[in-house]
Amino acid sequence: MASKFGLAGGIPERRVRPIWDAIDSRQFKNALKLLTSLLSKYPKSPYALALKALIHERMGKPDEALAVCLDAKDLLYKDDSSLMDDLTLSTLQIVFQRLDHLDLATSCYAHACGRFPNNLELMMGLFNCYVREYSFVKQQQTAIKMYKLAGEERFLLWAVCSIQLQVLCDKSGEKLLLLAEGLLKKHIASHSMHEPEALMVYISLLEQQSKYNDALEVLSGNLGSLLVIEVDKLRIQGRLLARARDYSAAVDVYKKVLELSPDDWECFLQYLGCLFEDDSMWKFFDDIDQIHPTKHIECKFSHLTEEMFDSRISSASELVQKLQRDTENSNLRGPHLAEIEIEKRKFLFGKKNDRELLKSLLQYFLKFGHLACYASDVEAFLQVLPPHKKAEFVGMLVKNSDSVSASATIELGQTTTILKVQELTGNIFELPLGEIEASAVKLAKLYCQNLPLSKDLDPQESMFGEELLSLISNMLVQLFWRTRHFGYLAEAIMVLELGLTIRGHVWQYKILLLHIYSYIGALPLAFERYKALDVKNILTETVSHHILHQMLESPMWVDLSNLLQDYLKFMDDHLKESADLTFLAYRHRNYSKVIEFVLFKERLQQSNQYEAARVEASLLQLKQNADSIEEEERVLENLKSGVQFVDLSKEMGSRTLRFNEDMQTRPWWTPCPEKNYLLGSFEEFSYCPKENVNKDREENVRRAIQRKSLVPRMIYLSIQCSATALKESVETNGSGGDVKTCGELKSLLEEYTKMLGSSFSDAVGMITEISQGARTSESLGSDLVDWLNFAVFWNAWSLSSQEHWHVLNLLFERLILDRIKSMGSSDMSSCYSDVQVLVQIITEPLGWHCLVIQACTRSSLPTGKKKKKAQHSDHLPSSPMTQAVKDSIHSLCSTVQEVSTWLTNQINNPEDAQVEKFLSTLKRNEDAGGPGHVLWVLESFIASSEESEVGSRIFEALKTWSKADSTRKTVTAQQKLLREFLQICESKRELLEKLKQQMTHV
Amino acid sequence: MVCIRRATVDDLLAMQACNLMCLPENYQMKYYLYHILSWPQLLYVAEDYNGRIVGYVLAKMEEESNECHGHITSLAVLRTHRKLGLATKLMTAAQAAMEQVYGAEYVSLHVRRSNRAAFNLYTETLGYQINDVEAKYYADGEDAYDMRKNLKGKQIHHHASHGHHHHHHGGGCCSGDAKVVETTQAEDAKATSSK
Repeated sequence: MASKFGLAGGIPERRVRPIWDAIDSRQFKNALKLLTSLLSKYPKSPYALALKALIHERMGKPDEALAVCLDAKDLLYKDDSSLMDDLTLSTLQIVFQRLDHLDLATSCYAHACGRFPNNLELMMGLFNCYVREYSFVKQQQTAIKMYKLAGEERFLLWAVCSIQLQVLCDKSGEKLLLLAEGLLKKHIASHSMHEPEALMVYISLLEQQSKYNDALEVLSGNLGSLLVIEVDKLRIQGRLLARARDYSAAVDVYKKVLELSPDDWECFLQYLGCLFEDDSMWKFFDDIDQIHPTKHIECKFSHLTEEMFDSRISSASELVQKLQRDTENSNLRGPHLAEIEIEKRKFLFGKKNDRELLKSLLQYFLKFGHLACYASDVEAFLQVLPPHKKAEFVGMLVKNSDSVSASATIELGQTTTILKVQELTGNIFELPLGEIEASAVKLAKLYCQNLPLSKDLDPQESMFGEELLSLISNMLVQLFWRTRHFGYLAEAIMVLELGLTIRGHVWQYKILLLHIYSYIGALPLAFERYKALDVKNILTETVSHHILHQMLESPMWVDLSNLLQDYLKFMDDHLKESADLTFLAYRHRNYSKVIEFVLFKERLQQSNQYEAARVEASLLQLKQNADSIEEEERVLENLKSGVQFVDLSKEMGSRTLRFNEDMQTRPWWTPCPEKNYLLGSFEEFSYCPKENVNKDREENVRRAIQRKSLVPRMIYLSIQCSATALKESVETNGSGGDVKTCGELKSLLEEYTKMLGSSFSDAVGMITEISQGARTSESLGSDLVDWLNFAVFWNAWSLSSQEHWHVLNLLFERLILDRIKSMGSSDMSSCYSDVQVLVQIITEPLGWHCLVIQACTRSSLPTGKKKKKAQHSDHLPSSPMTQAVKDSIHSLCSTVQEVSTWLTNQINNPEDAQVEKFLSTLKRNEDAGGPGHVLWVLESFIASSEESEVGSRIFEALKTWSKADSTRKTVTAQQKLLREFLQICESKRELLEKLKQQMTHV
Repeated sequence: MVCIRRATVDDLLAMQACNLMCLPENYQMKYYLYHILSWPQLLYVAEDYNGRIVGYVLAKMEEESNECHGHITSLAVLRTHRKLGLATKLMTAAQAAMEQVYGAEYVSLHVRRSNRAAFNLYTETLGYQINDVEAKYYADGEDAYDMRKNLKGKQIHHHASHGHHHHHHGGGCCSGDAKVVETTQAEDAKATSSK
């Protein structure tokens, strides 16, 4: 920085440097001291003031910082002789930005640029300000000015980038691209072009306008030499030729690429695409809305005659064979996979070559079947096969793996692969129970046998047979699902926990465990396993779906709040700060990255999870404070009475939602957060591959966010309606609530029912019938909680109707008591999904209804609490509505009491007894099938293993294994969750008792 | 494309997912962004046939001394995709780009003393040599080998080398602007704190 200091703002560097040093080392008090003495000498220096503001901001005093900043700004504007150097401005900029006043920073720079129109440094600062504000038009104008001033290529490219961004993000007219093209052409004519990135921009500009031939011309001309890596250049050339539909030329280029880089899969697909004159792949490669975009694509053949197809496929075969020969001695999978791709295309064309297709898959297995990547390599090929062919293929694999007598590691790898293929094809779900069980036992033995192979491995290396335990656990979960025998699930937990004891870092074990624990209500333990994944940064966006959904429906509010806050903080910070990084790309002349990066920011901004989390974080606050109407009103005030969320709900309909979650890591039984096969029966199940999960989700997620966004406002309006209703009902016997508030609530209710797929009147009919028992609660489906929310707000909208109060009371009673009855004395492991629903009912609709009651009660009390006792003689006369409120309190009280009682019974069940019960499900029956066999195999091995055999690390780990400890942890976690829930129920009950007390005075 | 291609910003999502599955790193997202926005030519991913990112290399340029050199910041390959030569290919690609695009004279990296697998890869397959041992380099107190490999160092493009003339807050082609450096708290941050 030294050179920059000089005489900033007229202050010598030696006076300023100690202050910067103090700031950098976070010694703010010292910095302030030094600054005070500096200011005494330079009281009118904007730079000194800017520094002062910076220190204040860092010390957490935003108001002081802003005031000082504004002083500095005034001085800058006023003082004609003042030195408007970049250092002063950039320091001010930093503070303004941190105070969320980008506009003020921009205006400072704009002012400075106006005063010193030829100062490039200041203009760059201004450009930077516009980058931060995502003002692409202004960026463009500033960059053009700089280009005119300095004539440098980079400034022109900054302008061109800004134009491209206008077209991509602001959807500005594509005519702008023509302008950009013209600017570049003119520049090239006079100055040529010197940077590879600039060339890339030029080509992309032409591509965006579908001027593929022009782009090709540029690439093959002098400028093409800017691209130094030959393959890169050929790839671009191939793409341009393909898009220009010059397929035969493209085929030649792609051939060249493949000869240079025979493992380039995307290139091979493009080669095939061009060979078959099929442009459908471009649509596919453009679809980036998946964290792992699939590279297997549908093919279009209808325009080809059989002869054409035959001749082209045979030339592809020739090429592939050549590539295979050329790479014989290397370990490349690409050319072999290409052979399968060719068979697949033939199959899809209708060649009835299924034998050959299977054979090619088998060949690939014999070559690469021992590798962990085999299954995922062939996944997409298997998908085109009909079910019986898939089964046949599995049979072929089994037969061939037996015939190969290879080394232990190869055998282990192949066995693992076969199981993975069985999982992948759904074949495993068709096997008889006994067979699955036997297979799981066999795998457990294999795992044990092979442990010695991992004896000398570094702790961070993956072990041999690591995946076997995940596969076993998947089988056990399936056995549980089909038999409903809890022992299998318990066994799955044990297998995975044992695996973690041996190898603590295996993420698959942790993820599987967290889902099993979530399912049986040991959510605190699930959360612990989730935390062990060390999810942070962008992973909060891609991975937190594993736990977020369960946490939202749980009473673990503190952990949930941390989870949401961490996630939102990461996203908010990124969105706020990412523009700083954009400028980095401009400065390093990485123009294509500028575009990518801005689009990436949009991608995160449009994340469905981000939108949902923002709403959920507010709802959580509302839930947490619902027992005190005063607290709740404070929360609502901070939420601007929910108005913004209503706007969000409205906008949501037309917003693009992006899905950045990595769903591929989820276990088979819950392919997305909203789905859990274990909750249904095996008979209803039809195996569906994990692909395309997001497509089904989009509409549901959108509607859920829209619905939830209305809730804060409806709570607010309900409180408003209630606040006046009781008084009015007594005084005027009218309908209560002020007209405007009620009108708004009504329209939101109509919106809300629409999102539930019903009309307002049908919705009322529905809940009335359920309350009367004329319909079962099943008709509400999975939206039960939303329906109850509707009922609560509907009642709040029409408080004077006693009948509505009555319907609502009955509804709560029925939905809660039915559930408690069905749970009976079964333990948490088997009824957690019911507990989840109860948690939601108690904390959401019931909580909101309690708020309505609190508002009614408060308004019925003539004055503040202090005078309550003294004045309860002059209270308002009783009215039908007061009675309705009283009845409701009474009804809710006893309903909540039922929940508390059920929870208390569960909690009072001694832990030891529960541990005992859990362990008893794991007892194996030596003569028959059932749970326990797998664990027995593993534990027998542990008992007999020797240090010399498995190595000291594994040996020591095995010694620490205890089945009972794991069981106790599970039981303790379940208890902890129940206690948290009980606490919530008790707090609701206390609130209701208090309200009951207060109402006796009315 | 399989095998090895340059990373895009969108790849960051999958690249960081690799960390879940390989070694957990303490690099913040900004550190990745800082690399990709500054030296995009040096970031390569290994993408598998089904479109999944199964490995990546993160590298940068440094000009501490007169010799412009590259530095490998991070190398990761999924456990399921080891022993396929992907690490070698990623490294080779990054090294080639350092040499061809930036004219680097040598490339350096740090490796944990205990990481035998990586050490063997660097010395035996890739031809790195120990330059120095940095005591307690890692946060957990482990030593690092400072390793180097000479490149031919033929400068083809001066593209990066004039980058530092217009830097706001000083530094060479390797330092970012002050803000970025300030927030870089990576394991390997020592090399970047050239403020």
